[in-house]
Amino acid sequence: MTKLLEIRDLSIEYERDSTSGGVSDGSSEGESAAGCRAVDRLSLSLEKGEMLAVIGESGSGKTTLALAIMGLLPENASIKGSILFQGKDLNGMQEEEIDQVRWKSISIVFQNSLEVLNPVMQVGEQISEPMIKHLGLGKYEAKKRCAELFSQVGLDPVWLDAYPHQLSGGMRQRVLIAMALSCQPEILILDEVTSALDAFTKVEIGELLLRLQKECGYSMILISHDIGFISSLSNRMMVMYAGRAMERGDTKRVIESPLHPYTRGLVNSTPGIFLYRDLWGIAGEAPAGEVQGCPFYSRCTQRKSICKSGCPDLEPVDSEREVACYLGGIVTLLFASRMNYSYRLPGGGMVDAVKDVCLDIKEGEVLAIVGQTGSGKSTLAHMLAGVMGSGVGEIYFKGNRMNGERYGSQYGGIQIVFQDPVNSTSSRLTVMDTVKEPLDINHLEGKKERIELVKEALTSVGLPSSEDFLNRFCGSLSGGQRQRVALARALIMRPKLLIADEVTSSLDVSTASNILRLLKGLQNSQGFAMIYITHDLMIALKVADRIAVMEKGRIIEIGNSHQVMLHPQEEATRKLVMAKMNGTEQIIGG
Amino acid sequence: MTFDSCNPHKNAPVLKAALKSGCLWLQGHLQGYVHHRLKCHQQILSYWKDISDSSLFSMDNPGSPSLSSLCLCASVVKSGCLGLTLKAQRHGGKFSESHNSGWIFKTASSFTTAGKMALLGLFLIPGPEHILGTDELGMDIWSQICYGARMSLIIGLAVALLSGVGGGVLGLLGGYMGGNWDKLLLRAIDISMALPSFPLLIVIAAFLNPSIVNVILVLVLLSWAKPARIVRSSALAMKKQHYIVSARLNGASPAYIIRRHIMPEVLPLLFVSILNIASYAIVAESGLAFLGLGDPTSKSWGMMLHYSTSFRSIYFTPYWQWWLIPPLVALIFLLLCLAFIGRDMERVVDPRLRTGGRS
Repeated sequence: MTKLLEIRDLSIEYERDSTSGGVSDGSSEGESAAGCRAVDRLSLSLEKGEMLAVIGESGSGKTTLALAIMGLLPENASIKGSILFQGKDLNGMQEEEIDQVRWKSISIVFQNSLEVLNPVMQVGEQISEPMIKHLGLGKYEAKKRCAELFSQVGLDPVWLDAYPHQLSGGMRQRVLIAMALSCQPEILILDEVTSALDAFTKVEIGELLLRLQKECGYSMILISHDIGFISSLSNRMMVMYAGRAMERGDTKRVIESPLHPYTRGLVNSTPGIFLYRDLWGIAGEAPAGEVQGCPFYSRCTQRKSICKSGCPDLEPVDSEREVACYLGGIVTLLFASRMNYSYRLPGGGMVDAVKDVCLDIKEGEVLAIVGQTGSGKSTLAHMLAGVMGSGVGEIYFKGNRMNGERYGSQYGGIQIVFQDPVNSTSSRLTVMDTVKEPLDINHLEGKKERIELVKEALTSVGLPSSEDFLNRFCGSLSGGQRQRVALARALIMRPKLLIADEVTSSLDVSTASNILRLLKGLQNSQGFAMIYITHDLMIALKVADRIAVMEKGRIIEIGNSHQVMLHPQEEATRKLVMAKMNGTEQIIGG
Repeated sequence: MTFDSCNPHKNAPVLKAALKSGCLWLQGHLQGYVHHRLKCHQQILSYWKDISDSSLFSMDNPGSPSLSSLCLCASVVKSGCLGLTLKAQRHGGKFSESHNSGWIFKTASSFTTAGKMALLGLFLIPGPEHILGTDELGMDIWSQICYGARMSLIIGLAVALLSGVGGGVLGLLGGYMGGNWDKLLLRAIDISMALPSFPLLIVIAAFLNPSIVNVILVLVLLSWAKPARIVRSSALAMKKQHYIVSARLNGASPAYIIRRHIMPEVLPLLFVSILNIASYAIVAESGLAFLGLGDPTSKSWGMMLHYSTSFRSIYFTPYWQWWLIPPLVALIFLLLCLAFIGRDMERVVDPRLRTGGRS
């Protein structure tokens, strides 16, 4: 296959003083810092017949990229780098030359809106216009071709004489596609074609595009923020953030196991990928203006000092995947293998609570460990937290072998929150003393800072930080409040990994769901990884990226939560899922 | 004033006077104690507030005798410490001993020095000179009771503190550290609990030199197991508490955990047990002395009982009323005080009552 389109080191900057007219996406909310860089040293190549998806949040430069390929950038944009179409640089071309390529070889389907079509022209006329211009067709032929195109995109040719406002959104989108296809282009750029459409039309348009691609053989660049839509339509995808490519690779694999924290964030914010999970967007805002180092630094869950040193470029991870991260993508935070633990029975025998368990947790990930009571999940959690001391297995935390040291005694370590709220805080300590304790023990910060940190931690878990509350004894708090206090105590150490051991199981449903959402929200905003131990599969599905199912001390199944849910491999998992499903049906069925 | 054994009616005013003066004295002492040691008292109170979350006194309803018991007990302490000084003054400096200074054991065990006997004052009946009269050697009985209070309290408190603190520390270490040390401790506790204490006490006391130190040591050996066991089991249970596990994971040292978490929980329990041991030690010491196994040179309530009961035909004379009864009453009184305090302490440290009573 030949490279149809190649973009090398493309940088596009919008100058600050003029308004970025016509650009809906690229320059975002007009951060008027000296020159807003919409695309930053971006390289990509498109082969014939390839379907490339470009995804990213608003303001990541996707539309600017599309406009640059089309040569439609506004005056105030300055372009560096080259856009090679069949070996010719579109960037250096004169307007007339571009006109030869535009629409004839590269066409674009704009985001569906009334403005895109001329409201006082019949749609048929609008479609014929480029054909007459580029293909040199006569008016009648053009009309005939229009009718063909209409039937191709699934529209009745009677609509040819309609005005744009007479058409529905889906129909208009089809008109736009027909228009883009009119000159049989080699590259079709689709800019957010489905974002305003309903789910059913979305699927229809998707199928249409696939069918047309097979018929016409064009290459596609799909620009979207909708991962659900592009997952079925593209075979490669590129993730853009702040004008830079963060990750590139096979669509299915990228969605299944994102390498970049940003990609993972996008996947997690997409409804429809994880059926049962709550939606959580990526915390924080895209950086405004010039940023030193990695543009994702401020929102990243695994930032290190190296990330500030410069902007990482796409580096190949394996034969077909690339990621722009100094750490090589999402880092494995904790890796444990050969975890064994047995309890001594009163009779003198031993019972294996945890047997040959091996698992890993990535940065910023939520792993739920699900299992029946007595399956060893709490024991495993305690082992990972270091309650049992050393010698229970090989645990690597942040790449270092844990050897009985307590990672809870420093910032960025492991913290654990226990099940029983009454037990997890001392009744005879005040809220202040309880939350402050880890700092007191490790002599961290000054006296005043500690109090400030306590107040901050309490606020973050949704508790008041008034003097009155700080001086209350934990014994006088309710279960939910005590659990929050315990959570605040764990969070004050800014853990990298939080182990939540059945934190909600002894609370009433309302309190439990509040705590659960709070926990997940904190996880999302602070970016720590979490191991969530529960016996409730439904709760696990709500919060977890991955689920590990434990039975009799072993992890029998581990995988993405939706996979475990929808395609359980093991009999025990199937039973667990079925039990839940049946239970739900019974409740709903009355 | 003379005492007529044949005419009990005549004795009444004498006894009344004695009782009255005794009460007045006690009252004066109480007032003096309360007034002059108010500051000291407040310090003690605030200490107790620290220990038991101020529930000692806030739980104390008006009918409860714990506060009054404390005061009465304090008066016993006071009489033990100061009674002799008073007597010494009354005797016009005949007492050569200095009671304010010196080693407490020494003063307690060296009563019988020259000059303490009232010349020609054998078997005096109670009077202004001798509130409770004198015994067969002419020694003032009230002085002996004051001395005895000191003796009982020293032995009681010394044994209680030694075995309470020692047993507490052992139990704490055993419970918190676990392992072989814990096993060893458990066996030692079992053995010490299984031994019949009083017979053993008699045997040991009979074999050893009957000095006050020996009595204390023997009693400590027999009573350390109970606090050790209480503290051990409580430390063992506390160790598993999740907030302690959390603290441990946060890098807390055992010293920190014991000081910050376990001590406040265990200390009230230990205190109750110390009070109980104090009662036990006082009774045991009195028992030994009553049997004649105490230090013969010391003056204790047990010894007084021993001498008075071994005085032939005491029940045929009225002497038992001021020779036999007062040490007995003092003993019962002190034990009751301790028991009341202990009972209230127990109520205060009972977790069910605490969680129910406080919010």
